[in-house]
Amino acid sequence: MKSREQEYREMYMAEALEAYDAMSRHISELERNPHDSQALNELFRLMHNLKSNSRAMGYTSIGEVAHHMETIFGLIRSKEREFSGSLAAVLFTGVDMIGAMIRAVGDDEVVPDSNVLLDNLDRLVRGEEPVLEGELADEEDATRKLELSDLVYIQIKKLDHLLNLVGELIIDRDRILTLSQEIGNSALQTSAAHLFRITDELQYSVMDARLVNVGSLLNKFPRVVRDVASAEQKQVELTLSGQDIQIDRNILQIITDALLHLVRNAVAHGLETPAEREKAGKPAQGQLTLSAQTERDDVLIQVTDDGRGIDVESVRRKAVERGLVGKEAARQLDDKAVRAFLFEPGFSMAKEVTEISGRGVGLDVVKLAIDSLGGQLRVDSVLGQGTTFTLVLPTSIAVKGALLFELDERSYAIPLMHTDSVVSLWPDDLHVVGGLLMAEVQGENVPVVSLRRLLQNGDEPLQPATRAEVQGRQDIIIVNYNNRKLGLIVDRFLRQQNIVIKPMTKPLDTIELFGGVTLLGSGQVCLVLDVPALTRLFLARRL
Amino acid sequence: MPDAELTTDKKNKPDTIIQLIVFRLGEEEYGLRIEQVKEVTVTPEIARMPKTPPFVKGIANLRGDIIAIIDLEERFRLRPADEELPTVSYTLAIEAKDYTIGIVVREVPQPLSVPVSSIEKAPEFIQDININDKYIEGIVKIDGRIIIVLDMLKLLTPNEIMQLQPR
Repeated sequence: MKSREQEYREMYMAEALEAYDAMSRHISELERNPHDSQALNELFRLMHNLKSNSRAMGYTSIGEVAHHMETIFGLIRSKEREFSGSLAAVLFTGVDMIGAMIRAVGDDEVVPDSNVLLDNLDRLVRGEEPVLEGELADEEDATRKLELSDLVYIQIKKLDHLLNLVGELIIDRDRILTLSQEIGNSALQTSAAHLFRITDELQYSVMDARLVNVGSLLNKFPRVVRDVASAEQKQVELTLSGQDIQIDRNILQIITDALLHLVRNAVAHGLETPAEREKAGKPAQGQLTLSAQTERDDVLIQVTDDGRGIDVESVRRKAVERGLVGKEAARQLDDKAVRAFLFEPGFSMAKEVTEISGRGVGLDVVKLAIDSLGGQLRVDSVLGQGTTFTLVLPTSIAVKGALLFELDERSYAIPLMHTDSVVSLWPDDLHVVGGLLMAEVQGENVPVVSLRRLLQNGDEPLQPATRAEVQGRQDIIIVNYNNRKLGLIVDRFLRQQNIVIKPMTKPLDTIELFGGVTLLGSGQVCLVLDVPALTRLFLARRL
Repeated sequence: MPDAELTTDKKNKPDTIIQLIVFRLGEEEYGLRIEQVKEVTVTPEIARMPKTPPFVKGIANLRGDIIAIIDLEERFRLRPADEELPTVSYTLAIEAKDYTIGIVVREVPQPLSVPVSSIEKAPEFIQDININDKYIEGIVKIDGRIIIVLDMLKLLTPNEIMQLQPR
């Protein structure tokens, strides 16, 4: 595995060489037609980009040449100079010099000295005649090489297709592996094992090809924050971190709107006006942080502000008013559970909450986007001190860790992202409270429901649970969604496994209870349960 | 449709032969145009899918494609409620507009060539049977058999299939 540093260098090299090719092309066009403004604009842009890229990578001498060249092209553009005669000759030399310098960087050689060129460029800027050394250009011509870029641009659609094919391949591979064990032929088993390793590597490579830096999204935010802040008359200092964390490009695409929403919200509602801040004893300038980090296999993206925070009490009141929770039950809920109400569909549309707590236009939309990725959205807040939204995202969409279990002699899978723990309990550990089974798991009371009953057709409320129905040891999966824990009684735990999820095909894709299907090694179809939808179903059917 | 128009239609192309796949549902014989049928296979193992109408038998793996399998006898109540499907049944994979779906039948479906002219528009009595006439393309009377030709594309819109879909 190449280091990040080296990967950046290769990308710089590929882009720089491509820029050099384009420069050579455009400057020839300009020679043919000195008034070709399109070629001129391109040259100016290419020089500018090369300048920034080179400086960012620490190749200051290349940056310096590009900077000087940019200046001259700027002068030509503003019609203060004309592309002809000695000026043209120097610029041609300049482009050649850039090519030579880039190649030198690529070959790890000493970058050629560009002082003569820089002097000439300076003279041109001052309107003086450059000192030309004819032999330099000739020598360059003799050693000129043709270069092809090391970088390939590829449509994401093609990568999607590749990833889908790999997914199919893995399903078949698992099938072949199972069959080879059943047949018991050692030659077959050996090649099946080899196939296993190769496909694993193939999958890893394809996933790797899809990774992009989180920075490619985060770096767009300084502008967004500036605009929102000036519209809202706030003073905001934005800090970015973790731009080099890598994530699947499509995941980044899907969370773009969600992140935009959270950032706008933070500036518009989270942070106070300078006057309010000073009154509260805070600096007039609000702090907004956008950070990315990795945690195990997940990527965490956080939006943190030091604004007014979320008023838990007003959220609690609103939740009761909207009938999301009983008055008594609401009093029992801890702050975390109360804040989770902010993600309820439509909840945040309540204007009163928006004004009082300063939060929440359409947080449910953000939540849905994260759910669709199998990720999690968390919110932490201290009243008067600020709010942090945390997006927990998978690195890749292709493969998900899942827990396989059996119900009515069929296999089902549940994504690990939403699985808290698995427990086996005896009837004595279960209590009936208000028609619901409850179990104490890690010091917390968790409602427990028979998955079989929950999945039975019909939307009528579940029958009140009785102790009599639980006989013997119960295998229970504790799932967690939006800070709500729920225990699901299943027939038997099977195993933990990485699965490739195929989306549900039409017309069954309207049933949101299932996030998709996967094929097991045995060829058996296995339904993948969607924990958010399952939790909603439970809430709708209890009582 | 007015009768006059039908008659002229017949006269224009009296010799075109079309192929039907004929299968039995309940007591009657039904047919589909062969181009709508992707393949006929012994019904693969079906995974029952909770929260779907009873006539949706579940999903099955058909050569790597996951397709829904539906039972039209149950859908149109052509079979006594207590009678189950036989152990070995057959599945017609039908290509609907943008997906494939399986229809399970109890007997091996048979191909049958009929002249287009033998397809008649559904007469009034069709109202008496359970299948709504909007799914019926026509009736074929041939050698004393009566075959009801279904218009699968209408029958298999997602809305039709999921009409009883719980929320």
